[in-house]
Parts: sequence; structure tokens; C-alpha cells
Amino acid sequence: MSRFGIPRLAAAGGSALLLSTLLAGCGADATASAGGTKVQGGTIVYGHEQEPPCLYGGWVQQAYLDRNILDSLVTEADDGSIKPWLATDWKVSDDRKSYTFTLKSGVKFTDGSAVDAQAVADNFAYWEKGGNSTAKVSIDPYFKAAKALDATHLQVDLNKPYLPLLTMLTQAYFGIQSPTALKRSEKENCEQPIGSGAFQVKEWKHGQEVVLVKNPDYTSWPETAKHQGPAIVDQVVWKFLNDPVGRYASLSTGETNVIYDVPTVNWKDAQSRYDVQQYSTPGKPVSIYLNTIKSVFTDTLVRQAFAYGADRKAAVQAAFHGVIPYEGNPSVSQATPGYDAGVATAYSYDAAKANQLLDQAGWTARNAGGYRTKDGEELAIRFAYPAGSVFTSEGSTVLQILQQQWKQVGFNVTLIPETQAETFAGKYSTADSYDAQPWYWTSPSSAILWIVWRPSTEAEPNYSNSSFYNNDELSTVIQQGNSAATTEEANKLYGQAQQIIQDNAAAVGLYTQTTSLAVAKNLHDVWLEKSQGEPVFADAYFTK
Amino acid sequence: MTTAVQAVPLRAPLARSGVRAARRGLVKLATAILVLVAAASVTFFAQLLVPGDRATAILNQQTGRAQRWSAADLAPVNHQFGFDRPLLVQYANYVAGLFRGDLGTSYTQHRPVTEVIGDEIVPSLVLTVAALVTAWLIALAVILLTAKRNRFVSAIGSTWEALTASLPPYWIGVVLLVVFAVELRIFPVIGGTGASGTVLPVLALAIPLAGFLGQVTRDEFEKVLDQPFVITARTRGMSDTAVRLRHALRHSVLPAITLSGWALGALLSGAVIAENVFGRPGIGQVLVVAVNTRDVPTVSGIVLVVAGVYVIANLIVDLAYTLIDPRLRAS
Repeated sequence: MSRFGIPRLAAAGGSALLLSTLLAGCGADATASAGGTKVQGGTIVYGHEQEPPCLYGGWVQQAYLDRNILDSLVTEADDGSIKPWLATDWKVSDDRKSYTFTLKSGVKFTDGSAVDAQAVADNFAYWEKGGNSTAKVSIDPYFKAAKALDATHLQVDLNKPYLPLLTMLTQAYFGIQSPTALKRSEKENCEQPIGSGAFQVKEWKHGQEVVLVKNPDYTSWPETAKHQGPAIVDQVVWKFLNDPVGRYASLSTGETNVIYDVPTVNWKDAQSRYDVQQYSTPGKPVSIYLNTIKSVFTDTLVRQAFAYGADRKAAVQAAFHGVIPYEGNPSVSQATPGYDAGVATAYSYDAAKANQLLDQAGWTARNAGGYRTKDGEELAIRFAYPAGSVFTSEGSTVLQILQQQWKQVGFNVTLIPETQAETFAGKYSTADSYDAQPWYWTSPSSAILWIVWRPSTEAEPNYSNSSFYNNDELSTVIQQGNSAATTEEANKLYGQAQQIIQDNAAAVGLYTQTTSLAVAKNLHDVWLEKSQGEPVFADAYFTK
Repeated sequence: MTTAVQAVPLRAPLARSGVRAARRGLVKLATAILVLVAAASVTFFAQLLVPGDRATAILNQQTGRAQRWSAADLAPVNHQFGFDRPLLVQYANYVAGLFRGDLGTSYTQHRPVTEVIGDEIVPSLVLTVAALVTAWLIALAVILLTAKRNRFVSAIGSTWEALTASLPPYWIGVVLLVVFAVELRIFPVIGGTGASGTVLPVLALAIPLAGFLGQVTRDEFEKVLDQPFVITARTRGMSDTAVRLRHALRHSVLPAITLSGWALGALLSGAVIAENVFGRPGIGQVLVVAVNTRDVPTVSGIVLVVAGVYVIANLIVDLAYTLIDPRLRAS
């Protein structure tokens, strides 16, 4: 799922750059030496970025919190394998259309009710009826039904085989909530989701912080946990610090112990003073959807010329200070299982090739502005982008660099920054409203291909297909991948799908969505969950 | 008995003037209510006129997407929030709610708007009022010390005003943060709502405003110092400081006082910048998010509150006028 939020102030990047040297020179006391004695208890102050409207939901900002509050059936290890969590074991039927999960017994939600098979089945029903549309889209149209066989056995039936099912279930959107609690008012569920996790919500001071307290009776840690038992610290104060300068500064003064998303200008400094971790988001990278059904990009040659026509790799390197990796594969990011690295190498910068393709497509004349024309029509591109949310000032710099290079080969690219209100209201969601639009979508599996590239039909529109690109061969290959018997077979098919998208230049790659954490040296075992990059605090402890 | 009879002719004119005052008060109150309802109504409709559908915005916001949704996806949302009812019915319900003190329920937070605003209005008001007071103190100090002194000192004063008036609060905020919170460690980086955490955000807002108020006041102040009555006062042997404080200042602050009414409202809704830098709660922040997510009841509610602050601020400005300028009291 994509993540975006309140617009960052346009000046942020510039000021951050100006002041990074100042910040670098100060505050050495937060860097206490590692390897002291382990402390039981304490409060972790975590400087996060955006505040979600509710604590549970289908947005990654909610997944960050929910990972610490709710437990899921299964989890993903760093190598991509699926590990037990609330489910200790699972069996897949021979036709691969039925999964039987065995649940840990004796687990209780923090409201005292039991985490049994019926409770999990109720959660599946809740997601499907709209409780979490991101959970729903992750398992549709494969999911059929979930039912409790007895207290500790759950059967999940599918309409057809779906190999990525377990991987998809590792996302925090599939965190199990107490069905008793779900019957409360919408407001209560928004403010205080009830799960069986290592922490529970004590208080949400809107506009400031969420206070999480340890669940002292925690018994259901995942197999990937770094210690057995309830959380070591007593509390996590989850602060919302939107401004990157203030957030980074708070770590240097010791007001926070961990922060989210180190500004790239401060990355080098952070590496020397804190424990830093970088998370490359799996799923669809930040890539540019090209509108394949309206205006100039209906011509494949023009789309290919657009891909060749600018040095995207150099632009990403320059704008992000070399911290965030370029991604040439537009449909699946390098952190995703099933990623095809070969696909990513296509369309490296080649202005001559771009010019040749445009000549071939009939865009031979140039007007006074130096832009190409065909039958009097200018080669104009309306390039809408979600400014300030998905595209920070650094991301916007990438686009401005590219705009200049596209001009050289004859594209007149108009960058249209979308306000967040316009983005949410879907102003740039129709085929008439843009020619190109970059976006990304977090997902732990190459099955993201199906979510994004499923053909849009009259009967079953796919509004996530923002290139409006319908290709039956592509659709078939992805579906075969989703229903493959083995991972090898699936990855081969997913690779083919990535190749088809790349060959047709239905989208153009830019960079991998990347987040990071910086942790003070006296705090240990804060780790990033594999499927979506949430910070996990259940194992964290201070030393002194 | 006789005393009572005697009292009647004495009280009658008083009572009449009392009635007149009460009527004036009622008219003022009615106008204020009308202004507030109008502000809420205009906001309500303005938001509906913005292209894009509310149910789409709610679904996109819940999922972090920017796409269209099928009619089947939209229907339950439209029903839940009552968007499927005629617009006039929605509006009538909203206005009826206003008179019951019910500002509706936030589309995104599922809480009553009164609660959403109530949670964050106090830190906003503290920040706003403190910033306005601080701005005045700085502006007055600079004027009294520098206006119409020797050329060099006057130039320093007016340059300071021109410079600070043009500085963006965000930049000032970041500089204050780095100098006083990170380097000197006098104040916290994450302000919160405590007293020491309020100092830097207040300064970030007050410094540019002080420059602006100072610029407006300085012209008047310098003109007044050339007036004949000032020369008269000086010939009476009044000290320069007394002339500045008792005569010149009184005359020259009126334009800036008028602007303060505006500044109070502008600070309240514009405090988002200082709130953002110092991680401080406040309705500026809530307003930005609500506008972005088309949370109509929350936006309307905040506009209502800000309009209320404008109304009160203008009342205070009127009062301040009569206190400062005795001519207005006589009339």
C-alpha cells in the first residue's frame, strides 16, 4: 500500500541541507557506548512521521502501529520464508485450494477474550466486508471463506490456488483483532484497537503521540522474535514529528531514542552517530504510469522514447544524495521476492535512441520552443505527481532534472504538482486528466502485479491500473504465477510479466521507496519487520 | 412610597438608555451569530463545490490510494455518512446541529468535531495569544528605542523591521530550533504544550509579526513626533521618554491595533508551521489534514472557531480604540 500524508513544507529540504552541517557538529551525548548492562523496563520515545486518522486501517501508517498492537497468523522472515506466529502450523490441501491452520492455544486478547479459530474467521469476514480494503484487495478474488473447525483449527478456502496467500497474510493489515471489541463503536475501534500483541494502546493524545504500554501477559510472540516473553520495556511513546529537521534534531538532544526516516542530507552523519537501518520497500517501486489509452502515449514507440530520453539513474543519484537506489524495473521493486533484475537494465539513457524512436513514430518536426510536433500537434506531456506526500522536495528535484532532459529530445513535459486534497479526491485518476503519473504500492509479494495490472473491464473495473493498460497475455501470465505450484515456477512467470510490462513501456521505473530508522546507541534490538518495514519494539531493551 | 414615586422620573431616562444599550447588544450578538452561521455555511458549500467526491476521498484516505472506486465500493460509504441524502437535507441537519452545539462527526476520526477541536484548541490559543503579545512587546521596544533617534539608530530599527517582517516563520523556527534547542539546549526540540516548549514556537511566530507591526507603527510614530502638540509638550519641559510614551505612542498604535484583530485570526489558523517544526499539537495542523482529506465537518468546525475568534478580536479592538483614543469615548 502506498504511504503518503500531510504535505511537507516546501522549504524543508533546502533548510535541512543548510542546517545539516550545524546539526552534525553537536550533541554527542546521545551516542552512549554499546555493550553496557541490559536494563529491564524503561520508556522508548519513538519519533515517527505522520499521524493516521485511526490507529487501525489499510494505510501503511496504520500498519506501523498495528504491528506492535496486533498479532497475525504468520510472519515473514528476512529471507522471505513464512514463519509461525498465532498459527503454529499449517497444511495445504492437494488441490492447493484449502489451508488448515493450527493455532496456538491459550492466547488471549487484551480484553480477556480468547484468540481462537472462530475469532480469526470473524476477522476474515470483517476484512472482506470492508473492515480493511487493503487486506481485501490483497486476497481478492482468490479468497472464498474461512471457518473454524474447532477452537484451534481454522480452514481457509480459496476459489483457485493462490501461492502468495501466506506472504500476503504477513502484512500488518491482517492483524487479528478481538471480535468482541470490533462490536464496539467505530470511534472506540478507531482510538483503541484490541489485539493480543506485545503492546496495547493506553492513550492517544491527538496531534502529539500514542502511548503504548506493554501487555504483561503476552504469550504469542512470532518465531522471528529476538527474545521470548513479554516486551522488555514498559512503554513506547509514539510521537508524531512531521518536520524532518526537528525529528532528526530530537534524536541528537536525546528527546527521542529512535526516529523514523532520517533526512537523506543527514544520512552520513546518522551513520556515524547512531545505529541506522534502511528499508527498501517491496512491491511496486516509485515508477511512472504512462496513460496508454489517451493522447501521445498510446503509441508504444513514444513511450519507449520517453523511457530512453532521460538519465533517470543519474537524476535519482543526484537528488537523493546517493542514499536511495535507482530502480529501472517499473513493476516490481528490487526488495520483492520474484524481482527480475534483468528487466531493470532496459532503457538506460540513450538520447540518440529516443530521437530515432520519435522520428520513427512520426514526431519529426520541431516548433519554435524546440519541442517535437506531428501534424501541428506538440509532443506535450501532462505529468501529474502527488507533491509533498509521495514526492518530497527530493523526489520533485528528480522530476525537474528529468524534465530538462526530456526537453532535449523534444518532449514538452509540464509538471503538475497535485495537492493532497486533489490526490485523495481522485482528481488525477481518470484517463483524461494526465499522460504520466508516478506512484508506488507497498506489497511483500510479486502478486502486486495482479493488483496493479489486472485488466480493467466494464464488469470488473480495475482502478488501480493507472496506465489503463489491458493486456490479455500479461493477465494470463500473472494469474498463472499466482496459482503456480512452486515458488520457482511462480517467479519465472512473474519475471515474464515484468518483461511484458517493460517491453511495452507501460510504466517507467524511477526509484525504490525507502524508509529508515536511526536508533540511539544505548537502545538495542529495535528491528524492521520484513513485509512492510514497521519498527518492532517488543524485543527492544536499553543498556546503561 | 414617595421615594419610589420620586425615583421614577430619575430612572426613566436611564432605563431608556439601558434598553437602547441592550438592543444594541442584542443586534451585535445576532450579527455575530449570523456571521458565524454564514462562515460555517459558506465553508460547508465551498467544500462540496470542490471537484471530487467525498466518499472517494474517504476511501482513498483510508487506504493511502488515489484512484477511482466502483459504485459498489462507494455505496456503503455514501450511506454511512448520509451523502446519499439531498444536499439541502444535509445542510439543514448541519445548521440545526450548530444550534445544538453539535458540529457533526469527523469523517476520518469518527469523533465529534467538538472533541477534535476541543483537544487542540487550548494549545493553539495559548500559542496565538502569546505570540501576539510578544510581537507587540518586541515591536514597541524597538520603536521606542529607535524611531526618530539619530540616523544610524533609526536605520537599525527600520532595517530590523523590514528584515524580520519578510522572514518566513518556518525558517525562523528552524534557526531557533538549531540554536536554542540543539546547540544551547535551553529549550526542548519537541515542544509539547509545556511552558518551556512554548517559548520557541511563540518566537517563531512573533518575530515576523513584530517586524510587520513595527513597520506600520513607525511611520505614524515619526509623523506624530513632528506635530505641534509634541513641540508644545516638549516646551512644557516634558522629557523625551515621556513624550514618546504618553503622546506619540498613543497616536501611532491605532493602525497596528486594527491589524492585531486580523493577526489573531491569521495566527490561529496559520500556526501550523510553528506547530510542525516543534511537534506541537494545535488546530492549524488539524485544519491542514482535514482540508486535505475533505473532512467537511472538521473544516467547517474549525472555520467556525476561527471566525468566532475574529469576532471576539474585533470586539476587543473596538474596546481598545476607545481606551486609547479619548475622542471616541466622547462621541
